[in-house]
Amino acid sequence: MIELNHVSKRYKNAAKSEYALKDVSLRINEGDLAAIVGTSGSGKTTLLNLIGGLDRTYEGAVKVAGQDLGALSDKALARFRNQHIGFVFQQFNLLDHRTVLENVLLPAYFAKEADMAALTEWAKRSLTDLGIGDKIDQRPSNLSGGQKQRVAIARALLFKPRLLLCDEPTGSLDTTTGQQIIDLFGALNAEGYTVVIITHEARVSEAARRIVHIEDGAIVEGGLS
Amino acid sequence: MKASRLLSLVGQNISRSRKNFLMSGFGIVVGVATFVFFMGLGEGIKEVVLGKIFIIDQVEVIKKTFDTGIIQTDSLMGFGGSKPLNDDVVEDLEKLQGVEGVYPKQQLTFPTSGWGGKAIIGRDMRTVIFGDGIAPKLVHDDLENPDAFIDYDAPKTCGADDACHPHQQCVEGQCQKRSCDPKALEETCPGESYCVSDGGGHCEMPIPVIISNGLLEIVNGSLRTAMTTKRRKIPRISPNVLMNLTAHVGFGKSYLGRADRRNPITRKIKLVGLSNRAIDLGITLPIGYVRRLNARFSGEEAGNEYHSILIKVKDQTLVPEITKSIREKGYDIADKTENAERAADIIRTIEAIFGLVSVVIIGIAAINISQMFFMIIYQRKREIGLMRALGGSRGDIRALILSEAATIGLTAGALGAGVGYGLSRLADYVAAKLPEFPFKPDTFFNFPPWVWLAALVGATAFCLFGAYFPARAAARQEPAAALTE
Repeated sequence: MIELNHVSKRYKNAAKSEYALKDVSLRINEGDLAAIVGTSGSGKTTLLNLIGGLDRTYEGAVKVAGQDLGALSDKALARFRNQHIGFVFQQFNLLDHRTVLENVLLPAYFAKEADMAALTEWAKRSLTDLGIGDKIDQRPSNLSGGQKQRVAIARALLFKPRLLLCDEPTGSLDTTTGQQIIDLFGALNAEGYTVVIITHEARVSEAARRIVHIEDGAIVEGGLS
Repeated sequence: MKASRLLSLVGQNISRSRKNFLMSGFGIVVGVATFVFFMGLGEGIKEVVLGKIFIIDQVEVIKKTFDTGIIQTDSLMGFGGSKPLNDDVVEDLEKLQGVEGVYPKQQLTFPTSGWGGKAIIGRDMRTVIFGDGIAPKLVHDDLENPDAFIDYDAPKTCGADDACHPHQQCVEGQCQKRSCDPKALEETCPGESYCVSDGGGHCEMPIPVIISNGLLEIVNGSLRTAMTTKRRKIPRISPNVLMNLTAHVGFGKSYLGRADRRNPITRKIKLVGLSNRAIDLGITLPIGYVRRLNARFSGEEAGNEYHSILIKVKDQTLVPEITKSIREKGYDIADKTENAERAADIIRTIEAIFGLVSVVIIGIAAINISQMFFMIIYQRKREIGLMRALGGSRGDIRALILSEAATIGLTAGALGAGVGYGLSRLADYVAAKLPEFPFKPDTFFNFPPWVWLAALVGATAFCLFGAYFPARAAARQEPAAALTE
């Protein structure tokens, strides 16, 4: 599902050029529930950005679902993200001027083909399954952290992507709610989704079937399976 | 991104930033309103000045004159005599490029007086008459009933299917005036025609004449004021009242003198229309009458030489070129044509100045819009990053921001156009309260379609220009960088 070969990422500033990732090779198989763990500043988020096609300036090769992301045009890469990757962020990234339902449907605005009626129906059902069916017309600001993250997960699942990339998904949640979200990812993985979670929390990594350790921009354990 | 989804996003974004957009759109509204108001005013004034006072689509050719400082003469001390304007010149001028038609004009060259008007002002007025003859074709489009402005006495053949005018009869294939008894108590001539005694008693049709709108303005303005007393109020005369009005004209005599070649004759004239191409002060009649009358009272030569030749041009922009060609041929241009060119230049300059002012206002508004979009994009940086992460391409982000700008431009442009139009109505309302003056129009404004089009397209284009760089900057943001803000 995910294949990184000798990938390096440098951040340049006026004074110097610094490696955020250096010669990273990683393979994550389809159906994996993988946790990428490391300390703050170790390069976890940078790695996730490269896998998710959110950052295109790197050396080496990044392949996701057999697609070399570096070979795609901006438009094709955008379409790839839209259809094949679901993102869940620590800060939820919900738009406060849109309702819960409209937030879930946001990726549909950028899809080449989208049956809005069918997607709306699916979104409502999904939000109900996630226990927030009564909140669809509410603004995100009226929801709790756990509810917000459920909305973000519903949004990530809109086009049933093959890969879910989660950046510290429990970082802003209390222990109980965080555990519920971890369980939810477990359930999604059981349904066939490949889930990659970036975390520094031990309880999250404990739930993963595969753990990748990253330190100072390099994978020190679990990179190649 | 599909247009419907794009519009939906645009609507939501404008709705939530409406305060910012209202502030920026205000400048566009002011600019467009200024543009519409002054362009409408310029076009309106142009219509009156160049369509009624100084007609711009024509050039009047006159003989070259020499100005001694005291008088103007055809030649200077016997040298450099000016070339006459005759049918050969007409033919020559017809060959010039850009000429739509060439129409000779001839003035009455002998004393003439007229009397009439009792039906309107209660008593007959006597006045010296100045007359101008023109080709009926020249004013064909100006007259409601152009068929009434014809030369009834022009040579005409007749036959079974080709009848003569009522005052004529067919004699050996030629229309000839009917004989009548001028002493008879009842009119013996058919229809509108009447019996005259000169030349052995024959029927005549009233000579159709037209006057200029300017003359009517003078009559309704200063003349009416001068003739109005406490006891007698002279009404404002409408063109409809004047139509078909008849009066008498004495050809060959006036207060100024008497023609010495032939005895004066009296004829009826009938007003059949108004035209801006008619002589300013006097009557204008079909040139055939003038040629025959000039030949009768001033000699054959006078009937063959024109006083001026009007050239109707296909396109106003060709006027300078045609004017140059005419001067090269040794003729002069009437002051009125030069005044028209000057008036056109002044109006164009004023229009250009106000157009420029409007463009500057809209330009400043566009800079303001640019700054606003930079600010909005900064505020929405994370949101733009999220949209990119969820599948938005650079093109989608660019399209989203430019569509927001276009919507502001179109809305503010339409609003500004409405405000400009509203102000024009207000100005007309105020102007209607002003005292009458010559050529006072019903409206001072004219809004050709290009004004509306330019207002909407201009406002939209400026907004798009203002938003272009912010849109480009937003589209260039890498989603990863935007999301970490």
